[in-house]
Amino acid sequence: MTESSDEGLAIREVRLGATRAEGGTREVSYVIGGERALPFSGKRPERLLVALEICDDPRFWPPVVRDYVGDLSNDPGEWARAAERTYGADLVRLNFTSTKQRGFDAFDAIAATTEEVLAATTRPLIVEGSNEPELDSEVFRRCGEGGEGERLLLGTAEADRYRSVAAAALAYGHAVIAQSPIDVNLAKQLNILLCETGVPQDRIVIDPYTGALGYGFEYSYSVMERIRLAALAGDADLAMPMISAPTDTLSVREVREAVPADQDAMAVAWEFYTAYSAFVAGASIVCVRHPRTVERLKKALEV
Amino acid sequence: MPTATFLPDYRKVTVPEGATLLDAARAAGLSMNVVCGGQGKCGKCLVFIRDGTASFDREKYRRFFSEEEIARGACLACQATVVGDVQVEVPAGSLIQEQKILVEVPGMKEIPLSPAVRKYEVRLDPPSLEDTNPDLARLLEGIERQGGPPPNRVYAPLGVLCYLPQVLRRSGWHATATVALVPGGYRLSSVEEGNTTERLYGAAVDLGTTTIVAYIWSLTDGRTLATASNYNKQISCGEDILSRVNFSRKSGLSRLQQLATESINEALTTAADAAGIDREEIFEVMIAGNTVMTHLLLGIDPAYMIAEPYIPVVRRMLSTAAGRIGIAAHQNAGVYTFPAVSNFIGGDIIADILATGMAEREEATLMVDIGTNFEAVLGNSDWMLSCAGAAGPALEGGEVLFGMRANPGAIERVRIDPDTLAPSFSTINGVRPRGICGSGLIDLLAELFRACVIDRTGGINLEIDHPRVRKGRYHPEFVVAWEAETSIRKDLVITENDIKNLIMSKAAIHGACMTLLDAAGLAPGDISRICFSGAFGNYLNKESAVTVGLIPETPLERVENIGNGAITGANIALVNRRRRKELDELAQRITYIELNADPSFMDRYTSSCFLPHTDFTLFPHVQQMLEACRARQGVRSWQA
Repeated sequence: MTESSDEGLAIREVRLGATRAEGGTREVSYVIGGERALPFSGKRPERLLVALEICDDPRFWPPVVRDYVGDLSNDPGEWARAAERTYGADLVRLNFTSTKQRGFDAFDAIAATTEEVLAATTRPLIVEGSNEPELDSEVFRRCGEGGEGERLLLGTAEADRYRSVAAAALAYGHAVIAQSPIDVNLAKQLNILLCETGVPQDRIVIDPYTGALGYGFEYSYSVMERIRLAALAGDADLAMPMISAPTDTLSVREVREAVPADQDAMAVAWEFYTAYSAFVAGASIVCVRHPRTVERLKKALEV
Repeated sequence: MPTATFLPDYRKVTVPEGATLLDAARAAGLSMNVVCGGQGKCGKCLVFIRDGTASFDREKYRRFFSEEEIARGACLACQATVVGDVQVEVPAGSLIQEQKILVEVPGMKEIPLSPAVRKYEVRLDPPSLEDTNPDLARLLEGIERQGGPPPNRVYAPLGVLCYLPQVLRRSGWHATATVALVPGGYRLSSVEEGNTTERLYGAAVDLGTTTIVAYIWSLTDGRTLATASNYNKQISCGEDILSRVNFSRKSGLSRLQQLATESINEALTTAADAAGIDREEIFEVMIAGNTVMTHLLLGIDPAYMIAEPYIPVVRRMLSTAAGRIGIAAHQNAGVYTFPAVSNFIGGDIIADILATGMAEREEATLMVDIGTNFEAVLGNSDWMLSCAGAAGPALEGGEVLFGMRANPGAIERVRIDPDTLAPSFSTINGVRPRGICGSGLIDLLAELFRACVIDRTGGINLEIDHPRVRKGRYHPEFVVAWEAETSIRKDLVITENDIKNLIMSKAAIHGACMTLLDAAGLAPGDISRICFSGAFGNYLNKESAVTVGLIPETPLERVENIGNGAITGANIALVNRRRRKELDELAQRITYIELNADPSFMDRYTSSCFLPHTDFTLFPHVQQMLEACRARQGVRSWQA
């Protein structure tokens, strides 16, 4: 369990990424979790990470981001490098959108892209595999294999499709994102399922799922708060750090229908406020897609 | 108009074009199995078009049929419409069959015989010019002399007065009067010639949504003379309560009332014949039914119960004369219906409570009555809490691919060898299996869980390399019986979807039990008894019920099946008038908790949607048992 403390129970610490000493090639590894109190109460470790999400097939990506990053969107390696060096993201989340196309079978490319992005970056990597039960097993195996030893954060496990992710995480030593639909009980159930599959509790990060601010985020906020309160009250099955990926934010009506001149600013604003709220709700990692959101978040978190 | 012919017994019926085959089958007097009420959702009304045509969207309902069935012209009777002359084969499995209905004589020794109706044999002085007392006064005085009530408290209906003078004179002033205790006084029900005091009978009836059970008692010596049961004929107007109420809104109440009385009368007639008595000598009928059934029987409009704000017309105990509603007993026999707590906690549940004796105990009892809907009552002699909800049709065989009611051929018990995954099962009547009924499904769930074939959400682990564990057409599935073992010519399976439906059903029940416990400030360990009422509960394996988390974990010796509590309660209220008198007061002190209005119920439900529960500490013994099972099996199924 967690180390003992007279300040109450702590959220389990989860290590992401592996340095050479830890068996990987990252220049740094991050440890998230370890909180003993609610967020922003002054007693928390400063371990808030901003992840910039990129993809391997930009056809499935918000136009507002595509327009902003231009050609980078066709080169996951360069895009990832820019995320880290130009945009200042703490880490990259690589989303294999290519698996969404009909009849996808380019499994070799999955491993290759994973390796390419790892080579282009120096920090830990989050990998979002397929969303298709038929493909899961092979996609997660290739991601897992491509990043063996690097302690990826591999997503996404859900209650009805968690075995493939768990198997890849176990086989290649990665951590797992456990996503449940905005419900404290379902979050707990999925963590139990993963543990019963053999995934250690200190390799699970909860994704309570969310909509954009104004589009259901308030439900996620209260569920995140409940998850954290239950954990601090001693529920070991919920004592994991949280990740939030409000990925619908860039397609809300206010962004889509904004006048072209304001669209970019609106996208960043909407994404920024949603992401910042997710930190306030207790997330350790928030994933965003617009590079300028990363900048604003980093600045806001410095205060 | 086109003619529809139903095989195998060649029943012919003419129906208008556009009528469904289900309508036609009903018109031909066939009782089709329509769990969903004819909405094309359950797939139980399978028929084959042999000749002619019917309009049917086969692709839309393809999931209900096997390839072979498609080749034979499979249709759902409820969704196929007549377009011309048609010949339809109705397989036996699509008809409602004789069901396993609970009929047992409950141990009622501790209930003293004290009926509300009594017979008084009177010998009267004939009137004369010196004694000009009218006939009625003369009779009532005679009754009082025999220990009966004072004349001024006895109401005499006009019907009796009309034949009274003839009876008294023909009999030479030697007659037997039947007097019933009614609210606010007494009622002279009948006057017969000579001494008939030996022949005083009463009937207790469980008016269920699906089945009717009747007991006939001798009220002079407290013996059960006969019992009978049959289907509630209202099934032809819809399988569940809601569809009955909708039927009554569309097509009128009178048909449903008529079917209810016909169903009761059929049971009473069968029982009376078996007992060798005349139905006319039944002087009291005690009926326990849910709130809607009671309304329908009495011809009271139930429509306002199914729409906001969900109000019944009446909750208290009602009495009327048998003749008023066409019950086949003496026309002045008192017909009593149990009071209700709410729309959802009806007279049948008050009868259950009476049967458990929980209202007389200091320790808390939890009573659960499970059907398509479930009702749960927690309490003791001081307080009582109740709630009700939808358990979904899964426990009665609906929404489960091979689910069925407890008919012959239903698998009712299952064990699975954890090493070989070979199931062993028993079926009702010992015939080849053709489906699985509720108790079999709960067993199956518990056994698949113990054998680690399913995870705690009920997901089947397809990584298990075993011919019985396979990917079905739509869902992963487990083969319970191979084609050659069954009577349905296909592999009998349980799918992951079935399992998830079952888990939702059990979660609703467990969540409700926990809601009651929390409202009372009790923990599962504080319950001294858990009583299952109803047919489902009676055949349920207690251990399996606890293993899957259908009920809170309790030592098994505290779990009791009380059988058909509704009929037992009706029996008690029939033979003991004091118990009956307390019913209104009992019903009034039961607090009803509206689960939909209780925000914590959804939370409890979701945490119960896990085997046995998200919080394993609520199920310490199940946890130990499961760990032992897993240790024995090593890492076979749960190590990826």
